[in-house]
Amino acid sequence: MISFEKAGKRFGTLDAVKDFTLEIRDQEILGLLGPNGAGKTTLMLMMGTVYRPTSGAISVNGLDVVKHPNDVRKLIGIAFQDPRVDGILGAFDVLNWHLKMTTTLGKEERAERVEQVLRAVDLWDARKKRTWLMSGGMRKKVEDCKVLAQRPSIAVFDEPTAFLDVPSRLLMWKMIRELRDQGSTVIVATNMMDEAERLSERVAIVNRGKLVAIDSPEKLKSTTKGGEVLELTVGVGQQFPRELLAEFSEVQDVTQTENKVSVYLTSGRLLLPKIVETLTNRGVKIDSVHLKEVTLEDVFLNYTGQSLD
Amino acid sequence: MSSSTIQVKASTSPVGQVSTSGLVWQMARRDILTLFRTPWIIISRSMAFIIQLFVFAYFISGLVNYPGFFEYYAVGSVVAMVASISFIIGYDIFEEAEEGLLDYLLTLPVSRRQFIIGRALGGAVRSMIYIIPMFIIVALLEKFVNPVSIIAAVLDLFLLAFGVTGLSITMAVTVRSANRFDVTLALLDLAVTRVSTALYPLTKLPLYVRPIAPYSPVTFASTTVYDALVLTSLNAADLAGLIAFVAVFIVLGATIYFRRLEGGVYA
Repeated sequence: MISFEKAGKRFGTLDAVKDFTLEIRDQEILGLLGPNGAGKTTLMLMMGTVYRPTSGAISVNGLDVVKHPNDVRKLIGIAFQDPRVDGILGAFDVLNWHLKMTTTLGKEERAERVEQVLRAVDLWDARKKRTWLMSGGMRKKVEDCKVLAQRPSIAVFDEPTAFLDVPSRLLMWKMIRELRDQGSTVIVATNMMDEAERLSERVAIVNRGKLVAIDSPEKLKSTTKGGEVLELTVGVGQQFPRELLAEFSEVQDVTQTENKVSVYLTSGRLLLPKIVETLTNRGVKIDSVHLKEVTLEDVFLNYTGQSLD
Repeated sequence: MSSSTIQVKASTSPVGQVSTSGLVWQMARRDILTLFRTPWIIISRSMAFIIQLFVFAYFISGLVNYPGFFEYYAVGSVVAMVASISFIIGYDIFEEAEEGLLDYLLTLPVSRRQFIIGRALGGAVRSMIYIIPMFIIVALLEKFVNPVSIIAAVLDLFLLAFGVTGLSITMAVTVRSANRFDVTLALLDLAVTRVSTALYPLTKLPLYVRPIAPYSPVTFASTTVYDALVLTSLNAADLAGLIAFVAVFIVLGATIYFRRLEGGVYA
């Protein structure tokens, strides 16, 4: 189990992570969802003993990351958002060296495992090509393959499918699930909603260095106000009269980002004509109306008050 | 896209069994292997050295009135070359930090102490590999055949390389701006190498350099190497200076390195 207990990391005057408390269960896939700069990478680097927490405590399988950094490093494998590979080396050499450093595998076993993962992601033929000559997607695959080949107790993937095409994304998700099925605890940091939703058993929403919500994607969605969202596009620069909707008991909350208004409610189909009529009567110019079920993005918007981009 | 999947069974045991020396060596080996992937650098450096020796040194020998100057210059050139090449590891580490590769390296199961020793060792061995062809040329040219002298000289050169890599790493983690780092390292290289008695005897150096030159690590190394190869004797005082230089900069490099890392002083 991984435990963050009021963990914090301060860079100068900026709190990248503050009072962060979270427990990650063994052999689960946890999605860390947050916008760029939310503190996801800092959290992972603190757990990986690259950054030292400035407050609180973090333990990995009972080992404090400050007191036992070397033992913690032996348990963790991190695939970074931007590939961190020696450009002068080919994919085979990158993975082979990584396994030399992180496992006790012999030469033949290493070669076999590297071949296995490179074939699986369709990079075997390009195994000798220097990674700086590879496309962004190929380099990203090499980065992910480091952890897939290592098979650590705790596997961390930062934006594992950035730069990947759709088939490659699906394959990578499948391989990450298989890694978990074989015993690894997996943490996936992402700002892609579909990735968090389809891959994770639990999603932790992180915003401005703080944990704002954690649960399964389904529960997060079901506990979000109403269960349905009425999305309205109103005239540019128009102030939306929220108080008008207070008369509807089914309306749970209203948020506005520029001219996009989200109304969280129940019984949306029944209520939609009434709401539109009420607003129109008050002179609100409505350009479009869309009723949908709550998505993870709505959950994020609901918890943080900002969209995820 | 292959549709095949892999069996990714997670490791049940941590990698604690990997020996410390094995990990240090792997860190060093990574730097050494980088050199062999760009063999043209060794070839071009060797060519430049040959030109310097057979053209520049030949002409300047006629201008400098000092007995056996060509031999002095040839030995000193190898020493100066070791120092210059050993600075390269600093550029590598600075670049790794800029590109984020350092973060990856710091997640590997290597203590910070092992990490810095491995890097310094790799940089030093790499420098030695660089200068082997040049050392052989000089040894053949000047007929240095005494094996004990040759071993002693190689050890002196290695000490210099080890110390300069420590100095270079210290600079890489102290100076944050890329431009400032380039200028700092270039000036330091120039100062350490040129303000020394490696290429010219103390009496032939400009007056303003003479008070400082005897304390340059390159002077310590060139004196001990020259004494070992030419005089077949041991210069204990300069050897002690060289060892002190190594100790200071490896320890200093490691200390500053630990502090500079955002992680603070991890064991």
